Amino acid sequence: MTLLELDNVSVHYGRIQAIKDMSFTVEEGEIVSLIGANGAGKTTTMKTISGLLNPSAGSIRFAGKDITKMKAHIRVVQGISQAPEGRGVFPGMTVLENLDMGAFGRKDRSGMAADIARVFALFPRLEERQKQLGGTMSGGEQQMLAIGRALMSNPKLLLLDEPSMGLAPQFIRQIFKIITEINSQGTTVLLVEQNANQALARAHRAFVLETGEITHSGTGKELLANPAIKEAYLGVG
Amino acid sequence: MSMTDGPTPLSSAKAAQSAANREGLSTAPGASIAGRKGKKPGSLGQRWNALSRQQQWSFLIIVVVLAYLLPVINPPILTTEPGNNFGLACFDMARFALIAVGLNVVIGYAGLLDLGYVAFFAVGAYVSAMLTSPDSAFLKIPYLWTIPVAMAVTMFFGVLLGIPTLRLRGDYLAIVTLGFGEIVRILATIIPAMKGQVGFQSVGHPPGTAADGNPIFTNSNGVPWYWLILTIIIIVLLLVGNLERSRVGRAWVAIREDEDAAEIMGVPTFKYKVWAFAIGASIGGLSGALFSGQVGFISNQRFDVYTSILFVAAVVLGGAGNKVGAIVGGALVSYIPLRFTAIAEYKYLIFGILLVLIMIFRSQGLFPARQKLLAYGRDAVNWMLKRDDGGTGAGTNRTAGTAQEKGAQA
Repeated sequence: MTLLELDNVSVHYGRIQAIKDMSFTVEEGEIVSLIGANGAGKTTTMKTISGLLNPSAGSIRFAGKDITKMKAHIRVVQGISQAPEGRGVFPGMTVLENLDMGAFGRKDRSGMAADIARVFALFPRLEERQKQLGGTMSGGEQQMLAIGRALMSNPKLLLLDEPSMGLAPQFIRQIFKIITEINSQGTTVLLVEQNANQALARAHRAFVLETGEITHSGTGKELLANPAIKEAYLGVG
Repeated sequence: MSMTDGPTPLSSAKAAQSAANREGLSTAPGASIAGRKGKKPGSLGQRWNALSRQQQWSFLIIVVVLAYLLPVINPPILTTEPGNNFGLACFDMARFALIAVGLNVVIGYAGLLDLGYVAFFAVGAYVSAMLTSPDSAFLKIPYLWTIPVAMAVTMFFGVLLGIPTLRLRGDYLAIVTLGFGEIVRILATIIPAMKGQVGFQSVGHPPGTAADGNPIFTNSNGVPWYWLILTIIIIVLLLVGNLERSRVGRAWVAIREDEDAAEIMGVPTFKYKVWAFAIGASIGGLSGALFSGQVGFISNQRFDVYTSILFVAAVVLGGAGNKVGAIVGGALVSYIPLRFTAIAEYKYLIFGILLVLIMIFRSQGLFPARQKLLAYGRDAVNWMLKRDDGGTGAGTNRTAGTAQEKGAQA
């Protein structure tokens, strides 16, 4: 079943068109990766799906509903949750308070407790550090917190914007492993990455983004094997 | 009731908690990061949290009683006489403190830089004056009734200003609010019904006559007014404190820290920003109405941009986001020129220098703000872990967190 569908979506920053007539779908249960260089429009795509940016044309459908005009905070309740680029944890709040903010739109305490347990099981480090201020944690821990916080709204679709950015290699591997685990627990994941290797290896399907347009698509493995993509994004010729 | 930003331990857990707090203080004296950076800012709050609930209450009661007695005792060192009547000085300090508490909701909690706050103060003052002064053509109502009316009207203006401008962020918002501050003053000049420089004489005051037959509330005696405004400050503090600990307070903190992140966490950021504006505005209007009653004369001369900047200075000086800081900051901004009359002329210069120094040496203000552990998350975890230490203080937690971190590093 199609969970998310972008239909000819364009996004402008003033007069500059960042995304041109983009169409793609995310099926329920998938991990879908969007890869591309700086400025390709990856983050813009994410912000458009989460509702922080409004498309200038086209429509977005989520779980069968048109959400093109829906405000970001209502999309969260509908089941879209984003871990923003650069992590975006609340620096003056503790780990626990950050996680609590992730569940802002929820009223069911028992469900929230179950989700805190789920997040702590995925990221034992967060449980150890639950009283620490978000701003004083390392980059990897902040990334864990951002993902954990996004999970606190119990989303159908988890949007991850460059989860590997600025992380040490062993952290990157760990984060991707956890992303696969989150997916296997039933959350659909849409991932934006510059780290094409990991992103393609972990994805069911993937798209390559160049200057606001999708230039390649296929399964993760197909794209990994594609010589043009190898050359451009994987650093091997 | 807690008048600091620190949480008060629940009575069930207080003994264990205070012991833990003391332990935290003695074992990790250098690890107090409660004020985000530096060691000193946290120590006061931590010491406060280390007190038991009874100790906190008795301390608060003493402070409140002393505050009420302040103009009666008229302490020789603190007094502003002979330059300024101390009763009136006390009222002025309390007025600034109330304004700072209101502006603190906007700047401190929600992180919205409002440079035109004087406009709300002016609207409140004018509402009160125009509904009681014989110079006004409007219908007259008893003075005390003008207070809720002034609050409602300023709240309306807060929403009115907020809806178009709160889509802007940071500097842009500051510029627009600065403009709004001027608009109200200029309107007071050009609208005939608002009487420009001529203003409104003999604004009303609360009823009541003393034993000698004279009214209790007069323009020359600040003491009854001071007691009135002090009582109102305490009520406002209780209300704002509750708000701060609620869902609304959490939303404000999230907006202040990262507005986009707050929005994608499901916080209707725009709605909560308008709320912060409206609540802040109504407190400003409340202060304006009290001011207009006490001075008894309102004209457009009293509501310039400098006053607005002085309000912001009070909040920043005290520590944005901290109620106690706002009160101290507000009182200080009013007190310094009244007490040291020789330098009163240079007050803007002095506050300017003071603010620069504060920014350099204590950028969080005299009383740095701290967030408490949020009630929901704490409950959820306690529920999950079947723990019963609901009253954990934020200051201590952070001490513990840092100690843990230090241990991990070692």
